[in-house]
Amino acid sequence: MVATRAGVRRVDDDGLALWGFGDRAVDVLFDGRRVWSFWLERDTRTTLPGVRSIEWPSALRKFLDGKTRLTVTEHVSGRVLYDQERAFGTADTRIEIVGRSGAPISLDKSNRISPTFDTRSRADVLPLLTAISTVLDAIASAGIDAFLAYGTLLGAIREQKFLGHDSDADLAYVSAHSHPADVVRESFRLQRAVQERGFHTYRYSGAAFRIDVKEGDGVVRGLDVFAGFIDDGVLYVMGEIAADFRRDWVYPVRTCTLEGQSFPAPAVPERWLEASYGPSWAVPDPAFQFTTSDRTVRQLSGWFRGTSTNRAAWERAYSGARGRLPTGKPSPLARKAASYLSSGGTVIDLGAGRGADSLWLARQGLSVRAYDYVPSAAQAVQQTAIDEDLDLDVRMLNLNEWRTVLAEGARMARVDGPRVMIARHTADATNRFGRQALARFASMSLRGGGRLFLDVWTGPGRTPDRLKPVPIDEVARELSAQGARILVTRERPARAGSQRSSRGRLVAQWD
Amino acid sequence: MGLKDAAGRLKPKLGLGDDALARRVEALEADVLELRRHNVRLAEIADVVQELLVPLASRDQARIDEAIEKFSKSL
Repeated sequence: MVATRAGVRRVDDDGLALWGFGDRAVDVLFDGRRVWSFWLERDTRTTLPGVRSIEWPSALRKFLDGKTRLTVTEHVSGRVLYDQERAFGTADTRIEIVGRSGAPISLDKSNRISPTFDTRSRADVLPLLTAISTVLDAIASAGIDAFLAYGTLLGAIREQKFLGHDSDADLAYVSAHSHPADVVRESFRLQRAVQERGFHTYRYSGAAFRIDVKEGDGVVRGLDVFAGFIDDGVLYVMGEIAADFRRDWVYPVRTCTLEGQSFPAPAVPERWLEASYGPSWAVPDPAFQFTTSDRTVRQLSGWFRGTSTNRAAWERAYSGARGRLPTGKPSPLARKAASYLSSGGTVIDLGAGRGADSLWLARQGLSVRAYDYVPSAAQAVQQTAIDEDLDLDVRMLNLNEWRTVLAEGARMARVDGPRVMIARHTADATNRFGRQALARFASMSLRGGGRLFLDVWTGPGRTPDRLKPVPIDEVARELSAQGARILVTRERPARAGSQRSSRGRLVAQWD
Repeated sequence: MGLKDAAGRLKPKLGLGDDALARRVEALEADVLELRRHNVRLAEIADVVQELLVPLASRDQARIDEAIEKFSKSL
């Protein structure tokens, strides 16, 4: 469709109303700084004939209290569609869209608020450039030539710099293997090679992990490493690409320039970019969205995903409380564990969350191993335990990844003396795979007389966020399959008139 | 040709109604997913065995502890 002129009809506390035909990327600037981008047709809805409306994204809404010079421009042509002094809410101050560290932030293509590169100075991104070189070197030492990929390659090829609206850096490589299981093993190996260089790493899936890089002013930037492989002439790259491809379009790598430094790129970067972003990759698009086919999503998800189900939601849930010591009384489960171990022993607190029970148990003189999907949630408790010289160790356990379950299970199997595991709303915080892993971990940790105390929402009725009820019999079956002797299963219905789910308690033992 | 097109052509031959065919396709997709999922788990088991079996075979407790610690840190 031919693009007509476009304009802004209305701006208010709810959002924007525009007119015009022909899809194109539009930028929204606050006091001259781009904060948000969207597509005129794709991202709006028709509210009146000829009028396209879009609401302020929720991530941006909380900042809308005060005054600003609001400008709306077409991203490619730079044509100004709107430019006026505006007031939102009741505050009399200028609107400042900044993060916790005070650094300016804006919305990336996923409408997540982050310190996008257009807000960063050269000094800010220097540590990231150094990290990219070090990580490439670590991967090379493991025998793989990685290169810039996704938005980082696009920025290097098109503008020789990071894309202003991008928020992370991306590397990729194409494995010599053509079987997904081998590709996963190789990715594990590369993560170790990178981690040995002293970086903090974080695995997304069997074929992608992230390196956390601290920038000049303390902002933590993600550097992602994606695995790719070619099978029968088709290139697959985590997490969006499946395209007919030739290995000689990738290797040997060539060089490209990013922020004045030289980095490796695929042999024919234009081919790679087309496979990533389609034939219009050369046209700037700050609101780009992948249109990955259902089949590709099914393939990549089936082969590689499923190892971090719901983790981001738990991280978000705990992010606000980080560094603060939890308050409140110990749970009934923690009291049961303490009374069972009245002569001392070790408590494995599985799904410890912020660690309130763990800290209480350690203060009763017990050894405590606190495991959680998001161990940073219990940072404050770990620090208090160190200060008070308590035997409390906070560790990561991912029930969706067998490797952590097997390695930590092996560690717990070596603990001497009486052992108890408490799992308070852990079985209902994970999926079936995770519950089976919970049973496996309990079996490894508690063999030889150890006891498990478990609480779970059993439904029907409401449960707290992120928890899904599970029938108590199902939990018992899963534990029995791992050799547990079930001692008690009990269900307590919600109080009359309450909308809450019923609660189940289970006690099991491994002889 | 997509799975649905292929299914459309096969339908008269198999003598299946739309609902039955949709159920068969759904079941087939679930079967394929189940098989694909083995990749990560196979890789996990191979990785654990490779990284931990050698130190465990040494029966040197300090080496075993170090190997488990190092492995856990890399996850």
